[in-house]
Amino acid sequence: METLIEVNGLAKSFGKQLVLKNVNFRVKKGEIIGLLGPNGAGKTTFIRLLNGVIKSDSGLVRVKGLDPAQNGDEIRKISGIVTESAGLYHQLSGKENLEFFAGLYGVKDKGRVEGLLELFDLKEHQHKQAGKYSTGMRKRLALAKALLHKPEILFLDEPTNGLDPDGIEQVLSYLKKYNEETGTTIIICSHVLHQLEKICDSFAFIEQGTIAEQGTLAELEEKYVEVLTVNVNTTFQPAQGEFLGYPCRIISGNMVAFDLPSKHAIPELLQGLLQTDPIFSVIPANNDLQSIYFQVRRKFNGIVHQ
Amino acid sequence: MESFISKALVKKDLTDIVRSKTLLITMIAIPILFTVLFPALLMGSALFFDLEEIAGEDGRKLVSVFAGSSMGSAVSAYSLEQQMTYIFINYMLPTLFLLVPIITAMTVAANSFVGEKERRTLESLLFAPVSIHKLFLSKVAASFIPPFLVSIISFLVCGIIINVLGYPLFRELIFPSANWIVLITCLSPMVILLVVLVNIVISSKVKTYQEAQNIGGVIVLPVVGMLVGQISGLFLLGVGLILIISLGVLLVNLMLWHRISKHNDRFALFEKQIH
Repeated sequence: METLIEVNGLAKSFGKQLVLKNVNFRVKKGEIIGLLGPNGAGKTTFIRLLNGVIKSDSGLVRVKGLDPAQNGDEIRKISGIVTESAGLYHQLSGKENLEFFAGLYGVKDKGRVEGLLELFDLKEHQHKQAGKYSTGMRKRLALAKALLHKPEILFLDEPTNGLDPDGIEQVLSYLKKYNEETGTTIIICSHVLHQLEKICDSFAFIEQGTIAEQGTLAELEEKYVEVLTVNVNTTFQPAQGEFLGYPCRIISGNMVAFDLPSKHAIPELLQGLLQTDPIFSVIPANNDLQSIYFQVRRKFNGIVHQ
Repeated sequence: MESFISKALVKKDLTDIVRSKTLLITMIAIPILFTVLFPALLMGSALFFDLEEIAGEDGRKLVSVFAGSSMGSAVSAYSLEQQMTYIFINYMLPTLFLLVPIITAMTVAANSFVGEKERRTLESLLFAPVSIHKLFLSKVAASFIPPFLVSIISFLVCGIIINVLGYPLFRELIFPSANWIVLITCLSPMVILLVVLVNIVISSKVKTYQEAQNIGGVIVLPVVGMLVGQISGLFLLGVGLILIISLGVLLVNLMLWHRISKHNDRFALFEKQIH
C-alpha cells in the first residue's frame, strides 16, 4: 500500500522545552492509525506539525509527498481535523457553522451541509446555537465540519472525549464505515484504548516526545506478549500450580488463569481440559491493546502499570 | 484570480458582531451619545436658554478668535448666540463625532483575532487552507464595515437633529457644512481604517481582549488633542486642515496595509496564540 505520511528524525522544541525528538513515523494510504500516548507526550504538537501550522526544528516530514512547512495550504486542503476543543463558533447555529467552514474550505456542493447534518443526526437541531449543543452534538458537528470538503486525511484529536457510550459507538462505527467507503486515511489520538482496538488497522505509541513503537496489533502482540495469560471459566480445579506443563492459578471460583507461550498453545490446553471438565468461556487477558500499551511504556521507560 | 478576502470569514464576523451584545451595545450607545444627545442638548439649549450667558466669557473669547480668522466671514451675519451654535456644530462637534467611528472600530477590531483566540476558534481558522494575509485582510474588511456604516447613519441622524432643532434659530439649514462633508467622506473613513489596521495588528499579538483594548485605546489621544486645540483656540479645524490630516492618515494606512499584506507567518501566529 502507498505511503501517505512519512516522517524521519523530526524534532520540535518550544523555547528550551524539547517536545518531539527523533520521531520516525509512517502511515499507509487508507489505513486508520491510532496515535497513543500519555498527556504531554507530544501527540497534539505532532498533528500540528503534520498540518503545517507550526514549523519543525529539524527532520523530514512529507504528507502525500508535500512538505507541510512549504506547502501547508495544499496539505490543509486535503486534511480534515477535529481538535480537542472542537473549534466551533458557539454563537452561530450548527448549520451556520457548517456553512461558514464550507465557504472557508471552498466547498461548492450546496447539498453537502444538509447531507452531513442528516448523517450526524443534527438536522433537528440545525438552527440551534452550537453553544447550546450537548457535548455529543458538538463532537458530531465538529466531525461533520472536518468532513465537509471530503478530505483524504482525517486527523482526530480525542474525538470521543465527553461522549456517552452510545455516542462513542456511533462516532467510531461511522468512522470505520467512512474509511471503508471512501478510503480516507484516519489518524486518531485517544486515551480510550479499548475503543481504538476495534477500528484501527495499526497503532503508534508516542512516549516522551518520540514514537516508541508502531505496528499492527498482531505485530505488537508478537513482539511484546512473551507469556499469554488466558482466563478460563471451568470446573477444573488445579491441584498443582501447572497443567500440561503450563503454569496456572485459580483467580476466583471457577476462573483459572493459564500462562501460555503463545496463542498457538490454546487448542492443546482446551482439549486437555475438556477431557475431564466443561469450559464455559476463554478470555485472553494480556494481549489486548491496553496491555500492550503498558508493555511498550514499561519497556521504553521503565514505568510499571498493571 | 484568487480574491484578497474570504467572503465567508467576513460574513461570519459580521454575524458575530451583530450577535455579540457587548459589541452591539457599544455600536449603538456611542453614536447616540455623540450624535444625538450632544447636538440635541446644544440645539435645545440654544432654543430654550440664553446660550451667551451659559458660555460666559470663555465662549465669547472663542467666538471672537473665530470671527477674526479666515473663516469668520461665514458667521459675520449671525448673532452671537447663532455664532456660538454654529461654531460648536461645525468645528467642535465634528471632532467629537470622530470618536464614534474610532470607538466602534476599536471595539470591533480589537476583538478580531484575540476574540477568536479566547473562544478557541482561532485554531480552526489556522488549520484551514486560507493564507494568513487573506485572513488579516478579511478581518480588516469585517472590522471596517460596521463602524463605517455606523458613522454614515450617525452622520444622517446628527444632521436631521441639527437641522430640525437649528431651523427655528437660523431660519435656514446649517447642516452639512463643507467641514462635515470632508469629514464624512475623507477623514472618517481614513481614521476608521487606521484604527482597524492598528487594532488588528495589536489583536493578533496580545493574549486577551482587555489587553487589546487597553493598548488600542491610545489611538483616541490625537482626537482628544484636536478637541483641546480647538476649544483653546489654538487652531480651527477647517476644510483644508481636515484634508491635510486625511492625506496624512491615508499615507500611514497605506504603509500599514502594505505591511499586513506581506504578513504570512502562520507559524509565529499559531505558536504565539494557540496553546
